[in-house]
Amino acid sequence: MPALSRADTSLLGRWWWSVDRWTLVAIAVLIGFGYVMMLAASPAVAERIGEARDAFILKQVAFLALAGAIVVGVSLLSPQDVRRIGVIGGTVALVLTAATLVIGTEIKGARRWIALPGLSLQPSEFLKPCFAIVTAWLLAEGRRQARVPGLTIATAIFAVIALALKSQPDIGMLTVLTAVFLAQLFVYGLNMILVAIGLAAMGGAGVAAYVLFPHVHSRVARFLDPAAGDHYQVTTSLEAFGNGGLLGRGPGEGQVKNVLPDAHADFVFAVAGEEFGLLICLALIAVFAFIVLRGLLRLREESDLFAVLAAAGLVTSFGLQAFVNMASSLHLIPTKGMTLPFVSYGGSSVLAVALGIGMLLALTRRRHHGDLPS
Amino acid sequence: MNDQPGPNPAEPVAPPPYSAPARSFGAPREAGVPRMETVRVTAPDLARRAAMARTRRRLVVAAWAFAGLFLAVAGKLTLATVVAPLKPKLPEAVRVPEPDRAEPAGPRVERAMIVDRNNQILAVSLPTAELYANPREMIDPAEAAHRIKQAVPRLDEAEMRAHLSAAKAFVYLARRLSPREELAINGLGIPGVYFQPSERRHYPLGRVAAQVLGGVDVDEHGVAGVERFFDSRLTGSADPLRLSLDIRVQAVVREELAAAMAEFQAIGACGIVMDVRTGEVLAMVSLPDYDANAFGATPAEDRFNRAVTGMYEPGSTFKLQTAAMALDAGAVHIWDQFDAAHPIHIGRFTITDFEGKHRFLYLPEVLAYSSNLGAAHIALTAGAERQRAWLGAMGMFRRIGVELPEAGMPLAPPASNWKEAATMTIGFGHGIAVSPLHVVRGTAAIANGGLVVTPTLLARADGTPAEAVRVMQPATSDLMRKLMRLVVTEGYGKKAEVAGYFVGGKTGTAEKVGGHGYKKHANVSAFVSVFPMNAPRYAVYMMLDEPHGNASTGFFSTAGQVSAPAAGRVIARIGPMLGLLPETADAPTIEAALAIPLQPAHPGARAPTGLAAAPDHPRDAARERAPRRLPLVPATPTMPQDARHEAALAVPVAPAGYAVAADAAR
Repeated sequence: MPALSRADTSLLGRWWWSVDRWTLVAIAVLIGFGYVMMLAASPAVAERIGEARDAFILKQVAFLALAGAIVVGVSLLSPQDVRRIGVIGGTVALVLTAATLVIGTEIKGARRWIALPGLSLQPSEFLKPCFAIVTAWLLAEGRRQARVPGLTIATAIFAVIALALKSQPDIGMLTVLTAVFLAQLFVYGLNMILVAIGLAAMGGAGVAAYVLFPHVHSRVARFLDPAAGDHYQVTTSLEAFGNGGLLGRGPGEGQVKNVLPDAHADFVFAVAGEEFGLLICLALIAVFAFIVLRGLLRLREESDLFAVLAAAGLVTSFGLQAFVNMASSLHLIPTKGMTLPFVSYGGSSVLAVALGIGMLLALTRRRHHGDLPS
Repeated sequence: MNDQPGPNPAEPVAPPPYSAPARSFGAPREAGVPRMETVRVTAPDLARRAAMARTRRRLVVAAWAFAGLFLAVAGKLTLATVVAPLKPKLPEAVRVPEPDRAEPAGPRVERAMIVDRNNQILAVSLPTAELYANPREMIDPAEAAHRIKQAVPRLDEAEMRAHLSAAKAFVYLARRLSPREELAINGLGIPGVYFQPSERRHYPLGRVAAQVLGGVDVDEHGVAGVERFFDSRLTGSADPLRLSLDIRVQAVVREELAAAMAEFQAIGACGIVMDVRTGEVLAMVSLPDYDANAFGATPAEDRFNRAVTGMYEPGSTFKLQTAAMALDAGAVHIWDQFDAAHPIHIGRFTITDFEGKHRFLYLPEVLAYSSNLGAAHIALTAGAERQRAWLGAMGMFRRIGVELPEAGMPLAPPASNWKEAATMTIGFGHGIAVSPLHVVRGTAAIANGGLVVTPTLLARADGTPAEAVRVMQPATSDLMRKLMRLVVTEGYGKKAEVAGYFVGGKTGTAEKVGGHGYKKHANVSAFVSVFPMNAPRYAVYMMLDEPHGNASTGFFSTAGQVSAPAAGRVIARIGPMLGLLPETADAPTIEAALAIPLQPAHPGARAPTGLAAAPDHPRDAARERAPRRLPLVPATPTMPQDARHEAALAVPVAPAGYAVAADAAR
């Protein structure tokens, strides 16, 4: 059955036999589901905001195709190339993120986007995987050569990024980035006391954000106290799930999706719940869990610290993003606008996720021992 | 498969895959073989290995953490979808609107059909559409009006354009669009134009039975006739309303009436056919009539139903009542004679006979020659009280009771004024006004064996007995049938004769009351008949309003000349329709049984001469008194006052010697 022979030593042949094909299939399933959900969710939103019915669909078809190409293309690279991309891309993304504060487009009260023809680019999305790579590299080098202060540099870079994100403000992105950074430190083997301090700092930052940023305050307050304020979005989202039930209303039969704000992006999981029901949604969760758990557990076989830390960071970022999106839709956590990887509408989001997954696949390809030169 | 080629010895066999580790060309063979090696492990190495081991442990911890997160999501998902789902309260806009017809209390309820006794459709509601528009949704009112005009040319483009340009949210453009027109307009696809389902009452037979059916207004509410009387029944039940009318009979009556009306240049006409046993009205025609489909555009005169709304002095047709009353009470006998030689002077009035015989007349002769003087004497013999009771029992003072809202109230003098003059004039049908249907019912009761029925427009289920009240002995009815037959065979009703149907009847010509008394040359000429006289089935009434005689009638416009022939033609045509075939085989026998001489002999006495009756008859006292008292009446000092009062009602002021009420037939 395999189109590529084991003996095929071409670039693609070697790729096919060394890449994590199970994860690749899981990603393909997600992209396919993304197409289906785009057909279901985006016309309702497009009509409501007065766009052409197919406007989102056509854009997203192109983005998803591009994302698939990026996943495969990046996964063809060697770990060294991935590291280079991480460093260069991270630098560019950080500069652009800082630039949004000056030239950014303000949408819904935040300057996170840079307007390009055809799409609004959110540089911080790309910062996320690149920072994971950079952190992994710094930590790994720090372990290999005692004279390199990897941890310190990484913490310094993190501080700069955190400042930029706080200024945009993009507390959600900052939270995920912090969580990823802490997860990498945890896997790196940081002293549990320091991990605890990090978590405490994160908690303190959370409280600070709750105090400092009105929109964070309002969201958390609304989450904690159901009686307070406007619950429209999340109530509607839960109604969508309730309307779906076990088997769902059927493709295109959703009704709540017509009144659900952001149905095509942050609340696409609710549309999936309404139209396809509990079983399909559980399958979707299983696919995400499969990618994350398989990614983490497979790293036990990996002997190179950089690959382990980078991959762990990328998987954590991917998994957290999926979790935050689904948990928000289900009112498990305060509402946080975060896309469901490959399923939600969103240009820069899907491209950034594709970049991250491509890097992950590249780093977890089977290699001969010692293949990764220092 | 057998065609699989085996190994070909001619071809060189491929070498087995090289499975040994690759080695450089020319290198010793040992270079490709893995060897045991001595490895030195340093302390930093050990520390790194310990760190990697910790990293691997922590990877498992991280995996567990994620497993927990995803399980939490899965758990909450199960809760939200299946265990405790939040059911959506969907907004109105999402819901598919219910169609109008599904509303139970909607104004558009299908109106039931009206059919005749043979289930011929008389009135039926057809689905139509009303066209309305919301001008605020209009893009181009002028163009919309133009295109609608193109689709349905009968609409007014300028009016539509004005409506569509109005600053309103709702304007009617057209009512009663046919399905074809609705489709044409709908096909234009003009936004802001809508249809409302509606229905339209249609009367397939147009003018036939127009006054009976009445009509409906634009909202399909009955406004006249049966449509109004049965309005709630028609909207409440979908079953067709079955009338007693036989539309074939109705058409025949209408045709013959219209012909007679044209021939004698009458201003109106009325015809009724009724089953004398059940009271079912088979035909009720009033001319002029109208197209029931255009009720709203009809002048009130045409809507007037002479059969039930018109109150006319019945004239000589009432002499049947007078005779039956007196005979049934035993006040007079068939062989009694009455003074028709001397005019009766009462107050300032004189009662005479038109073209009279100027002699004493036997009772059959009084009817056959329609003598006013004879009828007056008979009525006076029976007495005012008996007359009032009789006419009351016959229902002459009440509304007729037929199912028409237009049924009118008869006009009759009050009991206080019902003195001798009134008794005499009412005896020959003047001084009282009733509807033609009253006359028909009264005559039917005389002919059917003595039972008063209530006329009805509803078909009676076969076999159900009619509610009837006995008002006379059957023997009286038997005798009256012979007398009615005599009017046609020997009297003024000869032109109504139809061979084999044994028609019996009575003419009645009354001068119409004008502004100042009776109009000289304006008659109401009626002929009431029943057939066949040997076994009465149907009463036929034909009346012409203000007919004019012509050469064929000797320029007489009396009932015997103008109405009786029409009644005969109707009987000849409807008899076979109603299942009655002319009886020719037993005709002589039947005719003999119905025969009664014009001058019957006193049973067991010599032929009467001179005055009324033999003095030895037990009832002579009552009878004898009347003729003797009559000449005294003018001398009664109180009479002028009473007579004036009655005259105001019925009897006009007339010069001496002039016939108070002319009634004759030739």
